[in-house]
Amino acid sequence: MPKSQFIDPKEMRKAGEITFTPIPVNQYKKTIKDELKEKNFTKEDLKRIYHDMVVIREFETMLQLVKTTGGYNGVEYNNPGPAHLSAGQEAAAVGMAYMLNVNDFIFGSHRSHGEILAKGLRAIQLLDDKELEKIMNEFWDGATLNVAKKAFKGGTVKELGIRFLLYGALAEIFARTTGFNKGLGGSMHTFFTPFGIYPNNAIVGGSGSIAVGAALYKKVNRKPGIVVANLGDASMARGPVWEGMTFAAMDQFKKLWADDMKGGLPVIINIMDNQYGMGGQTRGETMGFDFAARIGAGVNPEQMHAERVDGYNPLAVIDCYRRKKAILEEKKDGPVLIDVLTYRYSGHSPSDASSYRTKEEIEAWEAIDCIKLYGKELIEAGVATQADLDAIDKEIKDIMFDTFKLAIDDELSPRMDLHKQPDLIGTMMFSNQSIDSLSDAKPEVNHPMSENPRVQQIAKKERFAFDKDGKPFSKMKQFQLRDGIFEAIIDRFYKDASLVAYGEENRDWGGAFAVYRGLTEALPYHRLFNAPIAEAAIIGTAIGYAMCGGRVIPEIMYCDFLGCCGDEVFNQLPKWQAMSGNILKMPVVVRVSVGSKYGAQHSQDWTSLAAHIPGLKVVFPVTPYDAKGLMNAALQGTDPVIFFESQRIYDVGEQFHEGGVPEGYYEIPLGEPDIKREGKDITILTIGATLYRALDAAKILEEKYGMSAEVIDARSLVPFNYEKVIASVKKTGRIVIAGDATARGSFLNDLARNISEMAFDYLDAPAVVLGSRDWITPAYELEYAFFPQVDSFIDIIHEKIVPLPGHVPTRNFTEAEQMRRAKEGI
Amino acid sequence: MATVVIMPKQGQSVESCILTEMKKKKGDTVAVGDILFSYETDKASFEEEAKVAGTVLDVFFDNGDEIPVLTNVMVIGNEGESTEEFRPGGAAAEAPAAAPAAESAAPAATPAAAPAPEAKVAAPAAAPAGSVSPVSPRAKTLAAKEAINASALSGTGPHGRVIERDVQAAIDAAPKTTPLAKAIMKETGAAAPESGSGLAGKVKGADVGALKNSVYASDSEIKPISNMRKIIAKAMHASLQNSAQLTHHLSADARRIMALRKKVKKAVENGYPTNITLNDMVCMAVIKALKKFPQVNAHFLGDSTRNFSKVHLGLAVDTERGLMVPTVKNADDLSIQGLSNQLKEVADACKKGSIDPDLLSSEAASFTVSNLGNYGVEIFTPVINLPQVAILGVNTIVPRPKDLGGGVYGFVPHIGLSLTYDHRALDGGEATRFVKQIATEIENLDFEL
Repeated sequence: MPKSQFIDPKEMRKAGEITFTPIPVNQYKKTIKDELKEKNFTKEDLKRIYHDMVVIREFETMLQLVKTTGGYNGVEYNNPGPAHLSAGQEAAAVGMAYMLNVNDFIFGSHRSHGEILAKGLRAIQLLDDKELEKIMNEFWDGATLNVAKKAFKGGTVKELGIRFLLYGALAEIFARTTGFNKGLGGSMHTFFTPFGIYPNNAIVGGSGSIAVGAALYKKVNRKPGIVVANLGDASMARGPVWEGMTFAAMDQFKKLWADDMKGGLPVIINIMDNQYGMGGQTRGETMGFDFAARIGAGVNPEQMHAERVDGYNPLAVIDCYRRKKAILEEKKDGPVLIDVLTYRYSGHSPSDASSYRTKEEIEAWEAIDCIKLYGKELIEAGVATQADLDAIDKEIKDIMFDTFKLAIDDELSPRMDLHKQPDLIGTMMFSNQSIDSLSDAKPEVNHPMSENPRVQQIAKKERFAFDKDGKPFSKMKQFQLRDGIFEAIIDRFYKDASLVAYGEENRDWGGAFAVYRGLTEALPYHRLFNAPIAEAAIIGTAIGYAMCGGRVIPEIMYCDFLGCCGDEVFNQLPKWQAMSGNILKMPVVVRVSVGSKYGAQHSQDWTSLAAHIPGLKVVFPVTPYDAKGLMNAALQGTDPVIFFESQRIYDVGEQFHEGGVPEGYYEIPLGEPDIKREGKDITILTIGATLYRALDAAKILEEKYGMSAEVIDARSLVPFNYEKVIASVKKTGRIVIAGDATARGSFLNDLARNISEMAFDYLDAPAVVLGSRDWITPAYELEYAFFPQVDSFIDIIHEKIVPLPGHVPTRNFTEAEQMRRAKEGI
Repeated sequence: MATVVIMPKQGQSVESCILTEMKKKKGDTVAVGDILFSYETDKASFEEEAKVAGTVLDVFFDNGDEIPVLTNVMVIGNEGESTEEFRPGGAAAEAPAAAPAAESAAPAATPAAAPAPEAKVAAPAAAPAGSVSPVSPRAKTLAAKEAINASALSGTGPHGRVIERDVQAAIDAAPKTTPLAKAIMKETGAAAPESGSGLAGKVKGADVGALKNSVYASDSEIKPISNMRKIIAKAMHASLQNSAQLTHHLSADARRIMALRKKVKKAVENGYPTNITLNDMVCMAVIKALKKFPQVNAHFLGDSTRNFSKVHLGLAVDTERGLMVPTVKNADDLSIQGLSNQLKEVADACKKGSIDPDLLSSEAASFTVSNLGNYGVEIFTPVINLPQVAILGVNTIVPRPKDLGGGVYGFVPHIGLSLTYDHRALDGGEATRFVKQIATEIENLDFEL
């Protein structure tokens, strides 16, 4: 909501119409002779295009044969993993890759073998031999190259490069440690960043927002190159793809971002339009766009420069890319959408019998097969003879067979030995690095930090909640939880030029809960901006941004909206570090605000959902000291952290840390719970703002029942160090584990189980979980019956742990009730 | 008026004593000077005499109990007088010791004390016959340690679960058991009888059945070790664990001291008052040598040493109750007669158990002599009494071949000397020179009778 843009009612109410310019469909008319005449290609280039298409065809044919006949060229092999093949789509892939430089990035889908091979082959041609050798020698310390070399009988570095590419990709597909990602990515995730090949994605449309984030990274960090998101036609139905396009097409890039930052994102949404999504036919059945290119017209006035191009002619695709690249790089007028007509011969996967299409249809496309047709034209144009083409075919078949034999050799291409190293994958889940800044550039800021109005305001605050006599300062005077988060974040903005933050109200407003107040003044647009209300794009772009090497803080305004970016938070963010074989880092700190008073869709604590997903670090600090220290540690790290904040206590002052919240930088290591109150008769372990209710309950236990409670704040959920908790339980013999998450399936139960196992012989009663009811969150006025309250603690202790003399419970924690609730699912 | 007998404080560092034997029981008549009970500290044992006459009105402890010093042990007075106000941990004394938490107050109170706030916890009722109560793991662990049958208790936790406080209450209410009885109960699962055959109903090993062996009925017996034994065990183990000990052996020509001894014997026969032994002579030689080697007359304190200007000589004494090492203070001020008398005095005090505990501390002595010569030991490696830096072991006299000059070899009696020293404090050279000096002093010893 920039004030600079006046929304004038007079203008807004004017009559008029929205006009569209025609979107070109298959307009390429040139012949090979024309292209040669225009000197767009040499004869070698044209033969190379044929070569690259044949490589892809043979690669996919090999995998198809392995899948369907259990071997290739008479050598048996069983590949139980997936194979989504793209035979028939070669011209589209090679055409897409031809115009791309090494530092242009592509992202792909589950059906992207062709695209990565095309981009890899092109990069090999473009790299000079020294660079290529260096890349191959350094990758996995030469482990991949050493095997690829085995069957290489001499030749050029580029010829070796081709073997390296094919072997690295195939070994990856066969889950070998010599594969591009140590076999942890597999067929649907293979990639190789030194060639500008970024991850393929097994989630349909998964790259739709991630690729946009990569383009954001290139723009903000002034890195050369464009980004191509290779998506299927059916993925255009996916919300996250729309969100990614919406994000990419934001007006602010061209209207609000200043100086050299002005201009659209350098990204191409490249639709590999093979007509089918699984068994559904997009045009005519499952979509209504007629041609996918039409979508561009709905996104921005530039219509995303959309065009439909005949992907059965590689030269048509190349021609299109030549023009679109200029739009991105010279006119800075991205994003671009290209709808590439193509066709897949095989089914969705080998188990697909293609019952949704006729034999005639497949045969009709095979009759105009892109490789055959192109080869014929080469001969007709006098670029090559049939013998030349036959020689290319033969050479590729030989290389492919060599590669196949190397990739299935268990000695040369071993798999991880998880018997010998049972925790090998465990060690790859997090990168656990500590890095001040991910950029060498000087951080761009608007003024010295000391001149920032928020910084000046905080300087006047009391950094401990109480005065010398233990009397609390007024809320306004106290250094609050939101101030703690702010201090950590502004500090990092002044340290790390790569850091960007965005969300739905981050700029101008300063965040719905005033955490970012003052940041707008400090930072230029490109480091802090408002995102569309598109959580999938907010997280998805952050993933792409981090994957490319930047640090980012996306914000999810309400925890409940995690559901809107479920794929990004659960499938993408946590997985890429391990799936890449630890090549990628994921320094993304997702700020998630847990709502309060706002009912069923705005007040849910979903920490348990985040904790359930391997690969995420999860923290939930509830004091200013902890919030600042944990945010500092999260931002110093290289792992994805889901950073929960509670709207109930943004204004809470520091009541625990002696001396108050330090002004300087400090880190609190993730995973360490903190004893907020010492005691000896019972332990209360809390997650989130429930801490404060537990402390009130502890007071009552002490005063009324002579029971001294030790209250421990979990602070982190993942990782979690149990030592302090177990020591406490060994002392007290009793524990209540409490938090605001609905109890069924919550992380509270996880804590309870582990504590029960590790301190079993010390327990005087079962570890008891006190969570919220398994209901909708009711109105604020009714929350007393839903969230754990002070008296809930007393009641549950009385009922399940130790009867308290004279206590009459008001809540029903009996086992009969527990049984009834479970039976009814409430 | 009733007189209370307290556990005396023996020595500055003594915090509690073990009641070894209660010699009077409730109702006995005592006269002044009668032995009421015997007790021991870490280092010595004592007997408490009656200072007033009267009837034993009450006895608060049993044999084997560890009693904090200055605690009331028994009451003597006229029959009919009240004793309850003297009971340790009783109503009057309870207040400061009671746990502040009402929740845990009940187990802390003894059954005889005022009723606890929660009646159901104070009296650990047995569970109704035939029922077995669920027991919390924590309660189970405590019950196993204390040999309580927890599942027979009536629990006060949710669903009648036996929880920690129930077991604690049962422990407090159960008859006292001897350590042996407890060990047997743990092993066999035997339940304690309501009252045992020991003093004040204490359950003894015999009450719960000895350990059984199918052939011999009983092939072993678990015996608690004495306090004394525990102390020795701890000190000796600590010494070997915490220092760098090694031993040098050499021997001294014993002809001189044997001659002196002969002279002493004759003099004693003629009424000379002091029977100076070979050991006294060796000790004298040691004192002389120590004056020349002050670095051996020292304590090693880790990052410093304490060097003594006086010699405080420790002497290892074998007693019925175990090894004791009393100290003769300022031994370098003494003549051979004085030294002999004092060594005898402290050794006798040890054997009688009347030694001043402060003289038994390893810090009291600056150097120790352990003499096993009497027993015919030819060589041994004594263990240092830390923090002292060395100890001399004195061996028996054996004839050794010696060059008597002019190519003539003869057998000459030699007394063996084994010096164990802490290599952290001393090096081999100085240790050797020191033990050699002792030998020289032995060979040249002289005194007037």
